[in-house]
Amino acid sequence: MGKIYEYQVLRVNLSNGEISRETIAGEKVKKFLGGRGLASKMLYDEIDPKVDPLSPENKLIYATGLLTGTAASTGGRYMVITKGPLTGTIASSNSGGFFGAEMRFSGNDIIVFEGKAEKPVYLSLKGDQAELKDASHLWGKGVYDTTDMLIEEFGDEKARVSCIGPAGENMVKFASIMNEKDRAAGRTGVGAVMGSKNLKAIVVKAGEKQVEYFKDEMMEVVKKQTKTLKEDGVTGEGLPALGTKVLDNVINEHGAYPRNNFQYGTFDKVEEVSGEALVEKGYLQNNKGCYGCPIRCGRHTKLPNGQEGEGPEYETGWAFGADCGVSDLNAIVQANFLCNDLGLDTISAGATIAAAMELYEKGYVDKEELENGPELTFGSSESVTYYTRQMAYREGFGDQLAEGSYRLAESKGNAELSMSVKKQELPAYDPRGIQGQGLNYATSNRGGCHVRGYMVSPEVLGVPEKLDPQELKGKPEWVKIFQDLTAVIDSLGMCLFTSFALGLEDYTEIANAGTEFEYSPEEMLENGERIYNLERQFNLEAGITPDQDKLPKRFDEPLPDGTFRGTAAKYREILPEYYEVRGWQQDGWISDEKLSEMGLK
Amino acid sequence: MSLKVKFHSLFRIKLKSRGHEYQLEDEIDVMELIDLLDDDYDGYFSKKLLDAGEISPGSIILVNGENVIHKDGVKTKIKDGDTVTLFPPSAGG
Repeated sequence: MGKIYEYQVLRVNLSNGEISRETIAGEKVKKFLGGRGLASKMLYDEIDPKVDPLSPENKLIYATGLLTGTAASTGGRYMVITKGPLTGTIASSNSGGFFGAEMRFSGNDIIVFEGKAEKPVYLSLKGDQAELKDASHLWGKGVYDTTDMLIEEFGDEKARVSCIGPAGENMVKFASIMNEKDRAAGRTGVGAVMGSKNLKAIVVKAGEKQVEYFKDEMMEVVKKQTKTLKEDGVTGEGLPALGTKVLDNVINEHGAYPRNNFQYGTFDKVEEVSGEALVEKGYLQNNKGCYGCPIRCGRHTKLPNGQEGEGPEYETGWAFGADCGVSDLNAIVQANFLCNDLGLDTISAGATIAAAMELYEKGYVDKEELENGPELTFGSSESVTYYTRQMAYREGFGDQLAEGSYRLAESKGNAELSMSVKKQELPAYDPRGIQGQGLNYATSNRGGCHVRGYMVSPEVLGVPEKLDPQELKGKPEWVKIFQDLTAVIDSLGMCLFTSFALGLEDYTEIANAGTEFEYSPEEMLENGERIYNLERQFNLEAGITPDQDKLPKRFDEPLPDGTFRGTAAKYREILPEYYEVRGWQQDGWISDEKLSEMGLK
Repeated sequence: MSLKVKFHSLFRIKLKSRGHEYQLEDEIDVMELIDLLDDDYDGYFSKKLLDAGEISPGSIILVNGENVIHKDGVKTKIKDGDTVTLFPPSAGG
């Protein structure tokens, strides 16, 4: 027998060292699922959205999804929810690997960190015991050393570690939180919040206790879904063989592969840096999977100099590659390894260097500012590794880069050269070639982001069906459904990549099988809508107003090259319709009536 | 007329080829091109790209960068100098 899905919350006050436990049960879990949804509700209820993200008043919440640690395919994910320092919006960063499942097994479904520790500490979770320990000896260490040292100190090689690197300690605005060394809760600067609290890491190993769920009922559905994932062309073939870098050529041929800080939409040297090149150059060793994953898209790579690690993903390869005009795959992989060890979001790190390159080439950054560093010119492979390290330590010009592209460009009097939305750097798809994706970027609750509603899937890849990327009709509805469904998948603790083969009915079926809740598909999607509205309301109260639902001015200019040469972004034409489809006011605010309807007021 | 076909992703890895160039007397459409490729690659491409005579879900066929689904599907004409790019179902993020 399983049990009603309760969430066991561990509350850690870092200011006074007090640790307490509480339980959340019933309707609140049912309506907000878990992970991103439930923790966002807690954050909204517990902090003033106007707090300084790096102050002790902000909270940092680690949360497992509703199905994390169960038998659900890919059900191993955890999320970190806080107010993000890069955007000022609510932040939720999501990571795979094995840490999330271990956290669930340990009986700590959610961990809330409050206040700020006087000195560096880490949280040790051994069986039922939770203890804050001194981390002075770990402060300043990279993610790899920290992980190894903590596992040794813990005395169990099966322990799992989630930690920050120097970038988080130095409160780089886009610092990540890393687990199993190479898996990242990457975006929105959650690592900087952790650093601001003097919290270096969590190390966890469960005791006998295991998460209880309806295992027998669930297995039948799990087997069916695993079969679907294994037989699908994307999740069963493309992703295992080439990982996410299967996309370099697809998006480049489509003319939406941004080069030189989005000045162009194609990269003539893509062959040097593509997923195919990673295989053909012999860098790829094998693929790796996260907890409960039949897809196994992770890349284990080895460079000719013997350096080994994980990556690059499509986004990382693009950020340090085409976006910086760099075609040296070796340098790109090295920059990726650096980000993993230093604890940096690869997208924002690469894209911030790309913006700095444009600022430098256009004369907004002086050579003297670089001190003796390499010149920031597009194509400089030396720059991407050099400045990645510099930004993590806030050394020299790196101190300015550590603030992200928006604050950097703004400080040089030219904010429009930052290719960001709500101050977060855009990922590897030019919105002028994919119009629905442009609308999603403009309205994403965590700023420039592709995993809050991946419209590339229908508009370019033809999954679940092919939409014309330049057609505007119907796009607001599609964007809304994708945003809401993504909130569901995240909150369940499953991987977004399952959505290339599974749909709303499947997610509903697996949740019903594993828990005591009974959802209809409509109710499940409404949960996603509730979560999306909650995040939006947090942002509005934080001062992120609807006039920021916009893209940089560059996208009002037509693409100069590729398939969609001559086309500008058209999201403004459908933004009012999007607000209407969402049931929001014409001005983009959410009415009290809508909030009540969603159960948020 | 001449046309260039580019293979990417698993096509390129499995066939160990980056593509094929054809010199032809007359213009052809996408279906006729798949027939030509089948002759050269042992029936591989119709299996991978087609499902009951239509483009299978997720497969991508571009003519000069434009997805033929938004043109005339498998009946889309290919003209002198065109580049056709082929991908099996691909996604990531």
